[in-house]
Amino acid sequence: MMPIWTKSGEKHAVTLLKVQDCHVLRYVSKEESGEKTAKLLVGGKNVSPFSKPESAHEIFKEAGVPRKQKVTTFNVTDDAIIKPGTPLYAAHFRPGQFVDVTAKTIGKGFQGVVKRWGFKGQPASHGQTKTHRRPGAISTNKAAKVYRGKKMPGKMGNIYRTSFGLKVWRINTKHNIIYVNGSVPGHTNCLVKVRDSKLPTYKDCNKNPPFPTFFADGDEELPEDLFDEEIFQFTDPSVTFA
Amino acid sequence: RVSSDGKPPKFQPPPKPVIIDRKTKKEESRFLSPEFIPPRGRTDPLKYYLERKDMIQRRKVFNIPEFYVGSVLAVTTANPYASDKCNRFVGICIQRGGTGLGATFVLRNVIEDQGVEICYELYSPRIQAIEVLKLEKRLDENLMYLRDALPEYSTFDVSMKPVPRMDHEEIPVNKVQVRMKPKPWSKRWERPKYNIKGIKFELPEHKMQAAQKWSQPWLEFDMLREYDTSKIEEKIRKELSEELEK
Repeated sequence: MMPIWTKSGEKHAVTLLKVQDCHVLRYVSKEESGEKTAKLLVGGKNVSPFSKPESAHEIFKEAGVPRKQKVTTFNVTDDAIIKPGTPLYAAHFRPGQFVDVTAKTIGKGFQGVVKRWGFKGQPASHGQTKTHRRPGAISTNKAAKVYRGKKMPGKMGNIYRTSFGLKVWRINTKHNIIYVNGSVPGHTNCLVKVRDSKLPTYKDCNKNPPFPTFFADGDEELPEDLFDEEIFQFTDPSVTFA
Repeated sequence: RVSSDGKPPKFQPPPKPVIIDRKTKKEESRFLSPEFIPPRGRTDPLKYYLERKDMIQRRKVFNIPEFYVGSVLAVTTANPYASDKCNRFVGICIQRGGTGLGATFVLRNVIEDQGVEICYELYSPRIQAIEVLKLEKRLDENLMYLRDALPEYSTFDVSMKPVPRMDHEEIPVNKVQVRMKPKPWSKRWERPKYNIKGIKFELPEHKMQAAQKWSQPWLEFDMLREYDTSKIEEKIRKELSEELEK
């Protein structure tokens, strides 16, 4: 994470996400999957092919791509279908866009009810016998049972969670890095899924995105760094208020 | 001179002049700002490389001078609510923290009997100018104990003139022993954990001995805590000098 300053001098914290060897693996049409939209399987981050059996390599062989550590699905409209085997780059996103980022949260192991669900526990003194971080009562007398989904101690973390509506401040096309506002679930160097935001406030935010994606062998020559309009770039002199 | 043989004396060329160049800085005492050194961790070095590029870019446009904890600085920042749209603050640097773009330094001064500390970010675009009024080091890396010291040690004249200094001189170390206000202090500075050399402790001997109870003499031999930055520093110095010359 890094600080970033706007032209009015405000500071925001920004997470750096690297797009590492992402390729489209397979196209699943609406009829095949049985859902409302077509799907594209995308794989990221190359990994050695020797730790999995040959049967697991079929998808990658069809696309002509080395084995990937993670395969995710993206629901796509029919006009945004991409041929399997095309690489995807950070320039697919543009500064000023809003994204949702999904990742597995940091695993905390087996945790008690105070840390896991935020229960208040019991006081430290005034006669409490061996009861300081326990859940207390778990149901009422009339119910005569414990409801399903009752908050109790258990394994915490290591589940998929999404941060919605994060602004993209800057894109580095040379190293394929997306600078995303705020924090993102997951530990450092973990695999993360970045998707256009589904929030209704940001529905019309994306003006002229590279559609269906940014092709590296196309005619467009992008500069190394793409900045949002409001970012303070370090090539400018210090901010003054007139 | 009179020659012994009667022949004209052999021409002795004058001795070559020996030039001792004291103006150029010695190679060993190059200064590398502490925020360039990455902390020990599992982050990708690419992240520190990108941050350093941004820091170098900022340094090309805006001059961030060399300073240490204990030097007196004057910082002008942009302020939309001030009449002149800028604020000037003079103070002694008591702490330098953070790495990368978020590096900060805390300036302390006593203005009209009120101690004031301001934490500035080195790379914030709102800073208009940083001047070093007095460049010197102190015996400690962290001068937070000045909060519990007598106010005379933290007062600096706001209209102080910069102290002139030759480039080739070594950075002077101010070995002042600061006198403290009576206890209680904000932190127990006599404990060996803080390892403070710049305080003149006027505590009785048995209290100083009791404070040694919290010493952890095994810490300096702990190999897992070792972080040798010499090679990293060399690489970063080379990178910096190349980039800044461009």
